[in-house]
Amino acid sequence: MSHVVQIKTQVRDAAAVRAGCSRLGLDAPVEGEVKLFSETVTGLAVRLKDWRYPVVFDTTTGESKFDNYQGRWGRQDRLDEFLQAYAVEKTKIEAGRKGYSVAEQRLADGSIKVSLLVGGAS
Amino acid sequence: MKTIDVIVSPVGASRIETNGFTGDQCRQASAFLEQALGLAENERLKAEFYKTEVRDHQQARQSS
Repeated sequence: MSHVVQIKTQVRDAAAVRAGCSRLGLDAPVEGEVKLFSETVTGLAVRLKDWRYPVVFDTTTGESKFDNYQGRWGRQDRLDEFLQAYAVEKTKIEAGRKGYSVAEQRLADGSIKVSLLVGGAS
Repeated sequence: MKTIDVIVSPVGASRIETNGFTGDQCRQASAFLEQALGLAENERLKAEFYKTEVRDHQQARQSS
């Protein structure tokens, strides 16, 4: 039997956040207290390209906090791009823990396919 | 060949597809990724599962 599952990404792994930043050429994330426009939050802060304030991830809950002023202080697609990089790197980290070999392929629609070879013929 | 494909969309959502597993192995095989990546929103069984079910029904009718 085979199946398909849709997953909404939750950012809960600091190592994968670091790998995602590295993948996109961003500065390494910084843990601590960060001031956004109208509030101060605590977590793992990622500085996205052209964003005025960082995105701050709470890795215990997977929630993110940011203030991009509805796109005027930072484009949503920069955050989307980071979430994609995070999910790819997280998949590769988990595959590595299991000892599975991994192949990565960029698809025509901009998606990234990560294939894990689990074992021999069933 | 058993594979797990993770397709991450440009907005960061993931789709996990298992291939080549038998029985409930596929769910067990991909559970670690589902838990690691985030929140599972929905699941569907692939077409080959239903084909197997229909064939089993036909065989059961013929043998009865």
